Amino acid sequence: MTSHWHKKWYKTVIVILLGWMAVAAGRPEVTLEIRDHLFMPSELTVPANTKVKLIVYNRDPTPEEFESYELNREKVIMGGQRAIIFIGPLAPGEYPFFGEFNPKTAQGKIIAQ
Amino acid sequence: MLLTSVIIVLREVLEAALLLSILLATSRFMQLRTRWFYASLAFGVVGAVAYGNNLTAISNAFDGTGQELLDAFLQFAIYLLLLLIVPLMVINHHRGAYKRNLLQGAMLVAVAFAVLREGSEVYVYLSAFRTQPDLYSSVMTGALLGAGIGFSIGALFYYLLLGLSRHYTLLLAGILLTLVGAGMCAQAAQMLIQADWLPAQAPLWDTSALLPEGSLPGQLLYALVSYEATPTPIEVIVYSVSISLMVLLLGFTHYVSRSYRQNLPEARAH
Repeated sequence: MTSHWHKKWYKTVIVILLGWMAVAAGRPEVTLEIRDHLFMPSELTVPANTKVKLIVYNRDPTPEEFESYELNREKVIMGGQRAIIFIGPLAPGEYPFFGEFNPKTAQGKIIAQ
Repeated sequence: MLLTSVIIVLREVLEAALLLSILLATSRFMQLRTRWFYASLAFGVVGAVAYGNNLTAISNAFDGTGQELLDAFLQFAIYLLLLLIVPLMVINHHRGAYKRNLLQGAMLVAVAFAVLREGSEVYVYLSAFRTQPDLYSSVMTGALLGAGIGFSIGALFYYLLLGLSRHYTLLLAGILLTLVGAGMCAQAAQMLIQADWLPAQAPLWDTSALLPEGSLPGQLLYALVSYEATPTPIEVIVYSVSISLMVLLLGFTHYVSRSYRQNLPEARAH
């Protein structure tokens, strides 16, 4: 009785895990680069109401902090490194972001539609 | 560059300086030795440099979410320490010296964690300009200005707390620490959402038109109570639960330590 229950329990966990992995793997990915303290591209379009995996490559030798009040995100990216930032699900609209260490040049926005 | 570095350093210093000045003021108020304060500053600065120098490895840990997880851990830890510190302050106030070493130890770790968190970002930011001598001096001037303003606001809180009448010092310190602690929990929850450990949700409300987060009052409120213009339901729940837990614990401590004092033989004789 008990062992039978355990078998069922493990199966449930495996099914949930597989389901979760499928959802995680199915998330749309968008990439962004930082070059000479500029975001490239400076405008990114992502699907609305969906969680998106944003990958930011910092091609500068200096660190930068990806920051957005509208997206509620902040993350330091060291020189030559990349960062993964999950964003959304976002309502349709524009969400500005900037590089906190170089806010005058490093600016961009995400457009959810 | 000057203004940018003023703002970045001010933001970071202000957050740590608030916690630091409130704890330092209550230490003075309870006539604790303030030696713990210098030790925690030293630990915090050493930790910040170590964190900054290893940020690449830390960021890449846990599938690229190491930075978020460590930050969330530090903030939750500070809140848990505050759950210990604030009731101990109330007990010490009502019934005299009680577990003062534990209280000082908890304050030491809390301030060291706060300095580590904020200091590491300043360290990483400034380290970018070591190789750019033309910008370095204006960045350093800005950093010193920002640090100066941040610590001045901290000093203002310190003298405000100590200038109040005895009864209100502890009350205001308790309220401020409850808010600071709840803010840390909400920020930690935000970090776990960013790391995809907690589910992302649509914001519950949006006050960015009324009070933008990037504005000066927005930044001040952020440093004090972690003002967030577009909080998600999880953040609001975490914030409310953190406040409620601290209030319940304080109410209980207050009740027990007061009845303890009333039952003392000397108190009964009066």
